[in-house]
Amino acid sequence: MSEFFSTYGSLIVSMVLGALLGLSLYLPLMTGQLSLASPGFYALGGYTAAILSTKVFTSTSDLFPIPLLLIEMVIAGVISGLLGVVIGIPTLRLRGIYLAIATIAFVEVLRVLSLNLEITGSAVGIFGIPQPFQTQIEYLWIALPLLLIAMVLFYRLERIKVGRAFTAIREDELAAGAMGINPTYYKVLAFTLGAILAGVVGAISAHFLNTWNARQGTFDASIIYLTFVLIGGSRTFLGSIVGGMVFTALPEVLRSLADTGGLPNWLAQFLRDGRLIIFGLLIVVGTIFFPQGLVTPDILKKRKVKNKQI
Amino acid sequence: MKKSTALTTTLITSLTILLTGCGGASNSTNTGSNSQTQSANTSGAIPIGIAFAQTSNVALLGQEQVAGAKIAEKYFNDKGGVNGTPIKLVFQDTSGDENGAINAFQTLINKDKVVGIVGPTLSQQAFSADPVADRAKVPVLGASNTANKIPEIGDYVARVSAPVSIVAPNSVKAALKQNPNIKKVAVFFAQNDAFSKSETEIFQKTVKDQGLELVTVQKFQTSDTDFQSQATNAINLKPDLVIISGLAADGGNLVRQLRELGYKGLIVGGNGLNTSNILPVCKALCDGVLIAQAYSPEHPGEINSAFRKAYSDQFKKEPPQFSAQAFAAVQVYVEALQALDKKTKVNKLALPQLRNDLNKQILAGKYNTPLGEIAFTPVGEVVQKDFYVAQIKMDKDGSQGKFAFLK
Repeated sequence: MSEFFSTYGSLIVSMVLGALLGLSLYLPLMTGQLSLASPGFYALGGYTAAILSTKVFTSTSDLFPIPLLLIEMVIAGVISGLLGVVIGIPTLRLRGIYLAIATIAFVEVLRVLSLNLEITGSAVGIFGIPQPFQTQIEYLWIALPLLLIAMVLFYRLERIKVGRAFTAIREDELAAGAMGINPTYYKVLAFTLGAILAGVVGAISAHFLNTWNARQGTFDASIIYLTFVLIGGSRTFLGSIVGGMVFTALPEVLRSLADTGGLPNWLAQFLRDGRLIIFGLLIVVGTIFFPQGLVTPDILKKRKVKNKQI
Repeated sequence: MKKSTALTTTLITSLTILLTGCGGASNSTNTGSNSQTQSANTSGAIPIGIAFAQTSNVALLGQEQVAGAKIAEKYFNDKGGVNGTPIKLVFQDTSGDENGAINAFQTLINKDKVVGIVGPTLSQQAFSADPVADRAKVPVLGASNTANKIPEIGDYVARVSAPVSIVAPNSVKAALKQNPNIKKVAVFFAQNDAFSKSETEIFQKTVKDQGLELVTVQKFQTSDTDFQSQATNAINLKPDLVIISGLAADGGNLVRQLRELGYKGLIVGGNGLNTSNILPVCKALCDGVLIAQAYSPEHPGEINSAFRKAYSDQFKKEPPQFSAQAFAAVQVYVEALQALDKKTKVNKLALPQLRNDLNKQILAGKYNTPLGEIAFTPVGEVVQKDFYVAQIKMDKDGSQGKFAFLK
């Protein structure tokens, strides 16, 4: 069992981080806003942590002190949150595909900035980020509590006034506005909460990956995170968590499937080299058969509620 | 509704089966590799991990590396392996990103129980995955990581690929030899590529050290196809020499557009252009581009001729630098294991001890590889004697061409 954890330790941590990223994208979707800005805040949080830990908090001890890591996470969250408000107020006037384009542009601006600035190490990025833990699996001490806290908060959020307001705006923004809900306020709130979460996850990821560069949090990444949410299920937060975990793990699961003994050679080879093809196929099949994602509120509630969307 | 619920349940169940299958699979392969390492302790093959990019957009380079490593495995096993014990290369795909490299390294270290790792393909991946191996005290030998500060990552990290700071200036010197009247230099580099970015700094420093005038520095992206504005800007300043750091597709297009816009002087290409994939891009206009090399197929020596023959028998062309470096990396492991085996039997050592001793032995030895004679500094930086400069020579019709090595 210990061997299982040492082999798949980093994968398990990536799965938890993937789930958290899914949640950060799910937040704006709760208000029906298709925002692809999460990877931008993720990259920003990562750069914040990378710069702080290599330039500011230089410690002489062997392992990077965990309190400093927590401070970095808070700082990354605050910076992302502030930027989230600044970006959110003008862009959330846009809807649907236009909002998607604006947020992609935001991600691109951050990428080009990080390529050109001296402090972000331009294309090489920042490397030699100090490690708070001896092994990869120990990152769970940070990541898992964060996920659990996020899950509790989301569970509550979906049942209190703010969450109901989010859902109301998603279902019909005009009607919600007519009922006295301030759509702009709640949309910016959801967007900013997502930004904070993505920034915090970025701060952990920078340490986890040992290095941080402009290829983290690009447009490709936006699409993958969107897959987490859309295939996982965009109607309940559990969908994003399941999606984030399953789709982070899938390429690696296929790798170890290929290493199983007894498979015909061509099949093993296909599983190994073609695992990204299988990944793509599953996404296509998923969107066709599960337009609302794998985890829908219906399968969580035992009794069938007539789905208004269909 | 009922149908979709059923479908959801089926898909989730099948995914769960996949996942548990993974757990089961890992267990079964674990026992498999355990028995292999146990038998390695008596007579089985010694596993060496190879972590190259076999998928993603880096795969072109990774496949050249895989080819070189496979030739090395066959060559050394035919010669008796490590004093009678054969070696076994375990390949894991790193794909093109940092996560992939870490996962491949973890699998090699913990599941395949390799004695050491060759790879990963990109320097950026090395910054991410090498610390993981270093903390697990597993030796890593980079075969294509040329960025600065790679060997400094840790005690267990070394490389056979000479850093860009040593290789790149040779081509500028060769250009000066061909045309001593060069005064003005224009530099182009791909801004979004880590390798090009660090390479251009070396080039710019070389230009200054040689007392030349740097008239302009133009940036582009590896995804660009139109270089008209950058090329025109540079040509207006009448440079005698153009230095390009980019990758094959963009670099090739840039060469073509420079020539089409009337640039007549010499062109020096960086290591990203060091592949025959560039020839179809700029065709006849590639002619005359100078590129520094860490490897020459014409290098004298028995091992290089054996490698060259094996490669050209299989692929019907001259071996590229990436294959030669991968071959050299495997060779370093084999010869270090041989030397270690003479002191204490390799199969008597416990794995952590073996990895530790092997790391020391790698740094201590001298190796006569296809790259020429190489050794390592205490940090793990390669000490290589011979470097080369090649000039692209195209046929008249521009369909075929080759890298001709300058004397």
